[in-house]
Amino acid sequence: MSYVPGQPVTAVVQRIEIHKLRQGDNLILGFSIGGGIDQDPTQNPFSEDKTDKGIYVTRVTEGGPAEVAGLQIGDKIMQVNGWDMTMVTHDQARKRLTKRNEEVVRLLVTRQSLQKAVQQSMMS
Amino acid sequence: MFFLQDRVFASGVTLRSCSCIFPTVSLQMKDLACTSDSYVHEQSPSNQTSIAMMQEPQEMVEETVTVEEDPGTPTSHVSIVTSEDGTTRRTETKVTKMVKTVTTRTVRQVPLGPDGLPSMDGSSPMGSYTDSIDRRYMKNGERYITPQASSTLTRSYNNYNDSYPESHEGQYRPYIGHDGYGDLSDNYGSLSRGVNYRPRYAYVPGNSYRPDDGSFTLPSRRDNYGPVAQPQVPVGSNVDLNRSQPERFQPEPYGLEDDNRSLGVDDEGYELDPDYSTVNRRTSAGVPERGRPHKGRGYDDPIETEMVEERIPYLHGGYAAPLAQPERGSMASIDRLGKRSPSIDSIRKDPRWRDPDLPEVIAMLSHPIDPVKSNAAAYLQHLCYENDKIKKDVRHLKGIPILVGLLDHPKPEVHRKACGALRNISYGKDNENKVAIKNCDGIPALIRLLRKTNDMEVRELITGTLWNLSSYEPLKMVIINHGLQTLTNEVIIPHSGWESEPNEDSKPRDAEWTTVFKNTSGCLRNVSSDGAEARRRLRECDGLVDALLHALQSAVGKKDTDNKSVENCVCIMRNLSYHVHKEVPGADKYQELDASQTTSMGGSQKKKKDDAGCFGGKKAKEEWFNQGKKNGDLDRNFDTLDLPKRSEAAKGFELLYQPDVVRLYLSILTESQNFNTLEAAAGALQNLSAGNWMWSTYIRATVRKERGLPVLVELLQSDSDKVVRAVSIALRNLSMDRRNKDLIGSYAMGELVRNLPSRQQRSAKNLEEDTVVAVLNTIHEIITDSSENARSLIQTQGIQKLVAISKSSQSPRETKAASHVLQMIWSYKELRNALQKDGWNKSHFQSVSATPKGSKGIAGRSGYDDSTLPLVDKSQDNEKAGSRDMIPMDELGPDGYSTIDHRDKERKYKTSDNTGDASEKEPLKNDTNRKNINRSNRASVNLVDARDIKPQPVDSWV
Repeated sequence: MSYVPGQPVTAVVQRIEIHKLRQGDNLILGFSIGGGIDQDPTQNPFSEDKTDKGIYVTRVTEGGPAEVAGLQIGDKIMQVNGWDMTMVTHDQARKRLTKRNEEVVRLLVTRQSLQKAVQQSMMS
Repeated sequence: MFFLQDRVFASGVTLRSCSCIFPTVSLQMKDLACTSDSYVHEQSPSNQTSIAMMQEPQEMVEETVTVEEDPGTPTSHVSIVTSEDGTTRRTETKVTKMVKTVTTRTVRQVPLGPDGLPSMDGSSPMGSYTDSIDRRYMKNGERYITPQASSTLTRSYNNYNDSYPESHEGQYRPYIGHDGYGDLSDNYGSLSRGVNYRPRYAYVPGNSYRPDDGSFTLPSRRDNYGPVAQPQVPVGSNVDLNRSQPERFQPEPYGLEDDNRSLGVDDEGYELDPDYSTVNRRTSAGVPERGRPHKGRGYDDPIETEMVEERIPYLHGGYAAPLAQPERGSMASIDRLGKRSPSIDSIRKDPRWRDPDLPEVIAMLSHPIDPVKSNAAAYLQHLCYENDKIKKDVRHLKGIPILVGLLDHPKPEVHRKACGALRNISYGKDNENKVAIKNCDGIPALIRLLRKTNDMEVRELITGTLWNLSSYEPLKMVIINHGLQTLTNEVIIPHSGWESEPNEDSKPRDAEWTTVFKNTSGCLRNVSSDGAEARRRLRECDGLVDALLHALQSAVGKKDTDNKSVENCVCIMRNLSYHVHKEVPGADKYQELDASQTTSMGGSQKKKKDDAGCFGGKKAKEEWFNQGKKNGDLDRNFDTLDLPKRSEAAKGFELLYQPDVVRLYLSILTESQNFNTLEAAAGALQNLSAGNWMWSTYIRATVRKERGLPVLVELLQSDSDKVVRAVSIALRNLSMDRRNKDLIGSYAMGELVRNLPSRQQRSAKNLEEDTVVAVLNTIHEIITDSSENARSLIQTQGIQKLVAISKSSQSPRETKAASHVLQMIWSYKELRNALQKDGWNKSHFQSVSATPKGSKGIAGRSGYDDSTLPLVDKSQDNEKAGSRDMIPMDELGPDGYSTIDHRDKERKYKTSDNTGDASEKEPLKNDTNRKNINRSNRASVNLVDARDIKPQPVDSWV
């Protein structure tokens, strides 16, 4: 699946709601992101389309809030609390995820297995 | 943007009748008893071994031994046999209908098939269902029905929903209702009720049927017999009606009561029974009933109606069949009991019975009724056992995602069986299956289940599956990413007996060598071979190293060092010890003076020769030791070497290279009879004694002080090729310590030479080429800079063997290595007289293989094969000048043993790192076979290293 920036996209997404965990003064989500329009997309090991500058989940803390919520390594984050994440810088994405006043973030993510599952079911 | 929300699946339209595939097939019972036998043997360790061996070479990146193995036998199935009778009888006709209903559903689901997706949220409308179920259980006092049961319902419900687009949900509701019902009841009665589409609540009393289930007292039985067992009825469409006369069949179920169910409850159920009579059910399932207001849903919907109608033929036909399977066994039991009924007889003769085929079995995995799912999975496990073709077919039929999806199923028997099937599927050389499991997020699903379940058997299956998966290179990092800490916390630490904060009052616990521990350590052993990053992750994994060491200590304490778990632990330790001196955080602090300084001191030391050579690092080290000793006498200093006092106890990866571990490894080397363990322990010492940093210096000295050298030398007599090899290389590394070199030269030379092939026979032990080369290289190292050692080589009659090898060995590598040793010997002018007296002359020492060296005389260690020089030169440039002692022979050689070779390659990739590894001789330890060699195991290491240099992409934790 490739995306043309600015164009509507059809994707199979999953909603994931992560309740942040308080660690000391910080609220953490327990995953890390890579990518962004200011990053080198070819280095992204998770994207199928190596020009995809989207935000991807690069690591998930075992047992952390993100994992509990079902987030997985390699997921592409499409939205965070309704904000588009497909055309943002790495830092913008990070900030959007780490707003201190938000205890919960709602993500829309997509991943290959979702796409495939849908395709399969359509085909069969 | 337009998002289809939440996992949308193809619409309900897909319902189309897959069922027509088997229009007339009827059920056949499969004899589960037999099946269970084979389960028992499934993937028994013995088979694994062979495969493991075959796979090993692949895995052997670096010093790793990778073994793919399966855990032991899945045992759950065993109980099946016992339970048969009961099951059978119960199975009567009533069931039939239900089965059909079920079938129908299955059919419909088929298209939706792959909802193997994990993570459905629990917001199912099943709540009320659940409640009633619970109540029921309470009432019957059935203990083994756990709360999970209720959740199961929910889950199935969800699954069902998942498979359908929301828009159509309404239509399906009624079915869903059933499904749930079906789930509840592993018993037939409830199933049939389901068929009626009655309101759920009405059935609550019917739960009294439960008691029938009584026969299912053992959970496992139940698993196997579940609804599957039921459908004996060969399905001609209407036949069912006839058969299902309540009178006949009902009594039978009750006959089962010997299963210890309380009669009281049963009776209650009995009374209700008539309602459920098959006939009624029949009708209700049929079209006429459609309009009924159950839940007020769906049936009024025209589409649904169609579907129902469409379904009906299938009810009798295809899908019912597979469900019926287990019956045969049950019939048998009936026969035995003399209770056979005419109907059963006819069933038996009915030629239409048959086994379900693979697509059917896979379809049943998505069946709304849990026991059907679990039976299908169990059957699949059975089919897959040692049958690569079936495994592949399952993959092509998209069965793997469904199985993975079942891992999240709350009902133990479902996820257990799914796990068993996955384990078998994941076993074998076909890596596609492993990839398929990974591609549908099977690894995180397994890990999730591991965290959730306390069932030992399930844990064994999970970790066994992971072990299998971990044998495939590309999956190793995935496993690390998803499961390392969980595996450590859930399995390794608890089973190792280690406690991070030991209680004063609690005794230190010993490790428990459980299957789960064995599997998990095997998995970690495999993943630990995946290069620098993998090693880093494992080293830094909280508690892992501590726990492994504790386990090993306890193994030594109990003198129980031969088992597989110990082997796995030692192998992990060895792998993690590889390159510690480069890879551990803060390692630079401990680096010793390297090349330049070495060279400068070289001259002042022993020989006139500049022996800074490729192992010149040793001088530096010795020097380092001397500092602060204010004492010139090297040897004495070494013997009195004081290890630095630590301000606090070492923990985590620091434990890997503390001199304390030497004693542990030596104990293992003394105690263990397991060749793999021996090899790994020697390999660990070999890794630790390589390198230039302070700790390797301590290690080398500690081995001597702990009287480790004799232990190692004794192992040179081992019957195992790889042990000899590892020990030999370890000795080579240890001899970087001057004192060790002298001792090894004096005491080990004889054993080393004995391992060389003589002219007549290839070798007493017929050692592999790699081993011979390793031994030769060790000899070379020992005699380098030590004419004493060279002299003892002559005294042990080594020259004859060396000359024989260099002249006539079939292996170019052996030839080269031998000729280098010979050249080295000849370079000691003081020995030439003795040599000539023995009848040797210069031509014997000028290697055949090193043809062009003529001009380079005696000192001619420079007279190496020219072809090798360029590489050597490169490395020399980076390092120091005085590398005349380098042994260039290995640079392209498959045996990763030679230092040079290794360094050399590394250097090509790691421009930044030329900190003199001058004296590092880290053997890559492969249990090589040829394959290995071609596979360029080193490459992966290098690539990893290369990657490390590149700026990492930005990655932020949030």
